[in-house]
Amino acid sequence: MEAARGAERLATARSEVHRACELLIASSPDALNDCSEALQRAAAILREFRADIREYPQGPDARPLALQLKSDVLRAGRLMERLAVFYRGWERILGAMSGGYTSNGAPAAVDRQGRICCRG
Amino acid sequence: MANLTSSLLTAAGALDAYSEALSVVQNNVANASTPDYASQSISLDPLEFNPTGGYPGGVMAGKIVSSRNEYAEQAVQQQTTLLGQAQQDVNSLTTMQSVFDVTGSSGISAAFNNLFSAFSAWGQTPDSPVAQQNVIAQATSVATAFQQTATGLATVAQNTGLQLQSTVSEVNQIATQLAGYNQQIMNGDRNDPALDAQIHSTLDQLSNDGSISATQQSDGTWTVLLNGQTPLVIESQVYALSAGTVPPSPTAANPTAPPHLSLLAADGSDITADTASGQLGSLLNLANNVLPGYLGDANQPGSLNTLAQSFASNVNNLLTSGYQSSGPPPVAGVPLFTYDTTNATNVAQSLQVSSTITPAQLAAISPGPPEVSNGVPLALSQLANPVSANDEINGLSYTQYYAGMASNIGTSLDNANTNVQTQQAAVAQAQNVRQQLSGVSLDEEATILLQFQQAYEASSKLINILDQLTEDTIDMLPTAT
Repeated sequence: MEAARGAERLATARSEVHRACELLIASSPDALNDCSEALQRAAAILREFRADIREYPQGPDARPLALQLKSDVLRAGRLMERLAVFYRGWERILGAMSGGYTSNGAPAAVDRQGRICCRG
Repeated sequence: MANLTSSLLTAAGALDAYSEALSVVQNNVANASTPDYASQSISLDPLEFNPTGGYPGGVMAGKIVSSRNEYAEQAVQQQTTLLGQAQQDVNSLTTMQSVFDVTGSSGISAAFNNLFSAFSAWGQTPDSPVAQQNVIAQATSVATAFQQTATGLATVAQNTGLQLQSTVSEVNQIATQLAGYNQQIMNGDRNDPALDAQIHSTLDQLSNDGSISATQQSDGTWTVLLNGQTPLVIESQVYALSAGTVPPSPTAANPTAPPHLSLLAADGSDITADTASGQLGSLLNLANNVLPGYLGDANQPGSLNTLAQSFASNVNNLLTSGYQSSGPPPVAGVPLFTYDTTNATNVAQSLQVSSTITPAQLAAISPGPPEVSNGVPLALSQLANPVSANDEINGLSYTQYYAGMASNIGTSLDNANTNVQTQQAAVAQAQNVRQQLSGVSLDEEATILLQFQQAYEASSKLINILDQLTEDTIDMLPTAT
């Protein structure tokens, strides 16, 4: 793996993580499924890159690219966490709205039994 | 005839109901591009059908329901608050960074290097008036560089105070606007969707300044609190904030230090400690935590003053321990620098070369034994690369200590820039979620939650894997030389 090829791989991994961030901003369930796929592709590219490093050592230019990738992954992680916090809170509200509160004062779990929702 | 009349009534009632429904649709269309407008729907409720009893059936217009989801609204406001804070951090730190020269070509760093070179040259020709004059000239440059940096930071502090006042005025102005909207609601405009949109747009704007919580009361008016507890607006009443200063206590370590900034609620209570986010939180943090780290406050001298004091006193000690001439009797050296010894937070600002010192009074001879004719300038030039803990601050040379101060600001600015990018994405994300939740039924919402949960589990595992993979990859890559 030449240095240029290595940089290209890191750039591709970054663009996949960028794509994941865009999908996390869109944040619809369908977009989130696509997000998992984009992250999977980024992980696969990175694994290949790592596997080749020992055989084809990279120059110092690769490190800043990897650091940028790390920063992008952190951003994707933060966006994912914010969405999770939002939906966890919303789930509690929905539970209380649809099932009231349990005996210990916590909102009831959202009852999804037998519900079908067709979209498209 | 009765049947005909009731049929006509039914038709007329239905027409009224549909007319009302149509006006709701018209409202939605008319406000399609209004910022923060949430579409409305109207329920058509069935009327009792019993022709023999005179109940003709049909429909009547029910309650108008807004698709606005207040939980999603709050999420947008929370993210906007964090964005306001990050943006203010970037603005403030950018100004602070300009005070420090990170390149080392000017300012304190360059002045230090030039003075160390002057000490070294004087050590080679200890009796040379030119070398002695150069030491005084370069020492003056060091003192000037400290003064300029201290003045620059003091200007940042002063501007932060002005900015806080301006932000507080903005908050009060927005609160007055909201109180006006509440008055309109109390006058009967409760179901006006355009007013509802204006209120939410104004709340979004306010959330940039601080952490607010807005709750709609049973009469339709909005109660707005800052930090979850300080009232800003209740019905048509505004509870105005004010900015103030808190001088150090007379018994503090530095009683003449610059004051802290404070934020006061309408009842005069100090809410500074509670205000940690939004533009207000950022400004208060800069004024009360970040800047005092450099310029000092009631309890600390600040790193810039620590550096100035340590450097100046060390140089003075070396010079006063030496001799201008061996005599007999030997003539002791005099201090090179003077500074305010009564106020630890004013050292950098007051640092200057003694107005009475002459080049010939610079003491080059270290008394020993053995006496060394250029011992003092050699010891002074060694301050550039110290070998003794007495010539260091926290294990760092003076140049390294200064570089650390400058790089801390650079690192904080980088983090703040990253935060702005992330928060811009987070606000867009929250706005999209708000959009998606508009007009969605509970059943649909429960399904979305389930889908999200599954997608989240997969994606969060992948993010952890990617994070670890990236970390390991970085460790395997060579660093730049």
